[in-house]
Amino acid sequence: MPAPFLSPERNMPMFLKIEKLVMQFGGLTAVDSFSLELQPGELVGLIGPNGAGKTTVFNMVTGTYKPSAGKIHWLDQDITGLPVHQITAKGLARTFQNVRLFAEMTVLENVMVSMHITLQASFWKAMLGLPHYRKEERRIRDEALEYLRELGLAHLADEKASSLAYGQQRRLEIARALATKPRLLLLDEPAAGMNPLETKDLAQLVREIRDKYGLTVLLIEHDMKFVMGLCERIKVLDHGITIAEGTPSEIQSNPHVIKAYLGEPKHA
Amino acid sequence: MTRDRVKLVLNILALLLLFSILYFFDRYGSPYHVRILNNMGIFITLAVSYNLVNGYCGVLHLGPNAFIAIGAYTSSLLTMSPLEKQMNFIIEPLMWPLSVLQAPFSLSLICGGVAAALFAFLISFPVFRVRGDYLAIVTLGFGEVVRVLCNASQSVTNGPLGLKGLTPHTNLWWSWGIAVLTLILVVRLVNSSYGRAMKAIRDNEPAAMAMGVNPFRHLLMAFLISAFFCGVGGGLLAHLITTISPTLFTFFLTFNLLIIVVVGGLGSTTGAVLGAILFAWGGEALRVVESPMNLGFMTLPGIPGMRMVLFSVILMLVIIFMRRGIMGHREFSWDWILDKLQRKEAELKKP
Ligand SMILES: Nc1ncnc2c1ncn2[C@@H]1O[C@H](COP(=O)(O)OP(=O)(O)OP(=O)(O)O)[C@@H](O)[C@H]1O
Ligand SMILES: [Mg+2]
Repeated sequence: MPAPFLSPERNMPMFLKIEKLVMQFGGLTAVDSFSLELQPGELVGLIGPNGAGKTTVFNMVTGTYKPSAGKIHWLDQDITGLPVHQITAKGLARTFQNVRLFAEMTVLENVMVSMHITLQASFWKAMLGLPHYRKEERRIRDEALEYLRELGLAHLADEKASSLAYGQQRRLEIARALATKPRLLLLDEPAAGMNPLETKDLAQLVREIRDKYGLTVLLIEHDMKFVMGLCERIKVLDHGITIAEGTPSEIQSNPHVIKAYLGEPKHA
Repeated sequence: MTRDRVKLVLNILALLLLFSILYFFDRYGSPYHVRILNNMGIFITLAVSYNLVNGYCGVLHLGPNAFIAIGAYTSSLLTMSPLEKQMNFIIEPLMWPLSVLQAPFSLSLICGGVAAALFAFLISFPVFRVRGDYLAIVTLGFGEVVRVLCNASQSVTNGPLGLKGLTPHTNLWWSWGIAVLTLILVVRLVNSSYGRAMKAIRDNEPAAMAMGVNPFRHLLMAFLISAFFCGVGGGLLAHLITTISPTLFTFFLTFNLLIIVVVGGLGSTTGAVLGAILFAWGGEALRVVESPMNLGFMTLPGIPGMRMVLFSVILMLVIIFMRRGIMGHREFSWDWILDKLQRKEAELKKP
């Protein structure tokens, strides 16, 4: 079936539409009335000072947190409050700000876990080692290796995930997210802890995978050079409130944004 | 020959070796040795299946004694003849239809496994709503509940009197045959995509969910499979010792299994097997500490229960000095040995 959203007709079905999300933790409103619409293929940035509520938005979209109010529509479906694994199965994948790899497993196995949802053979076929299962296992292994190659990690396939360098771990997170075959990729600070060279490569990589896999990307990042160079559209959060939205150049000259990042101008 | 062929041949050779050893003991071994070997086989089955939940899913489940009890009672009630049952149930008669049902040993073992898995399914909803210490406490509670029920349901389990005079169906072929079967099936499962999903839940549950793994489904799968084999092991145990009563299935039994898998290495099937072998052998070998000891100048009286003290000390030493047990997460594999051999060969060829 051809992807319906690619049709240029006017009454396009919605891709991702987030409506007035609110997240409260006790008395704290971490995110207030957050709205966002994404079009297929877009590369959008979500920025803001520490504690602004960016990760919380990701957690609501992917089902980790149940929003206190608001709706999330995905391809004309209301996915608000669905369990995490079901949302992943619908084509939304994420990486984590604080890397969350399967530390005891190899690099390849980490990616193979993501392919588990594509498995057709049931568990007893695996226990009996039937040909149907073995064929599926080979397919999963080959495809997982393909994703590792894409991310330049194939030579580390048999290493333990926890033995990788930090930048490589972040790349492995992306490989693992890609292996769930998403249409929307949510990257939470993918460049954190990377050196300038790695960051530059990462920007290139994000563009490449977007084009190759037909992804839409929403990313959180503190590295302004990275965000401004990569994203077509940026949304700025501060204390849970959206304070600005626009192209990189609009954001850079927005007084609210400058205030949020630099604080009130001090009096002499 | 390809690597896979070589491994297949090695596996067959290992099995042949195992069964020749069993044959030897079956023919010429003393009853003492046969009993130890039977215990080993049964404890391998129990430990390997227990490890599936505790080691591979990383869930501290403390109720395998319940599954073993259910398997033991179910299987025993099925192999006893109606007449034997009548003679056992003297206080209250066994309720119908259990009083008339009878099945061959093999079928009774399967029924024991199924009954245990059914019970596991019933308790899985409350159990997997929680994690960590809470899950440990909930499963511990269910384990205790089953023992108390066994004690109280006179018309099903014969209460504290237990079941006596079971036919000793369990022999070396049964105990080791089931052990090998359990091993093959569990090893295949943990090395499959399903096993990877379980390990992913163990390593990082939020990340596993974000990669599309449904935790409940996979924990339940491991729990039911584990319960099934524990139930079968219970049936074997019952027909080895031929007398069962609720006191056999206290938390103590769970504690023994816990020692086995922790000492062997949580999350290593090889470790579970080694642990079970050491336990079954050590349990007998250490009997000396419970019998009076003659030191020449004085005689120490035997202290019953001393073995358990020693086991606890061993457990503590392992936890302090070898946090990950004998094997850690490592597994025995022919690949590892073959790689070593090849490297040696390559070194020898070099001038
Ligand atoms: N599970 C939670 N329970 C309570 N408070 C939370 C929880 N998760 C987030 N918060 C709070 O919500 C606010 C927003 O946090 P969030 O992690 O979304 O910020 P962020 O924009 O991602 O910041 P950073 O740039 O530091 O990652 C913070 O004040 C945080 O303490
Ligand atoms: Mg964050």
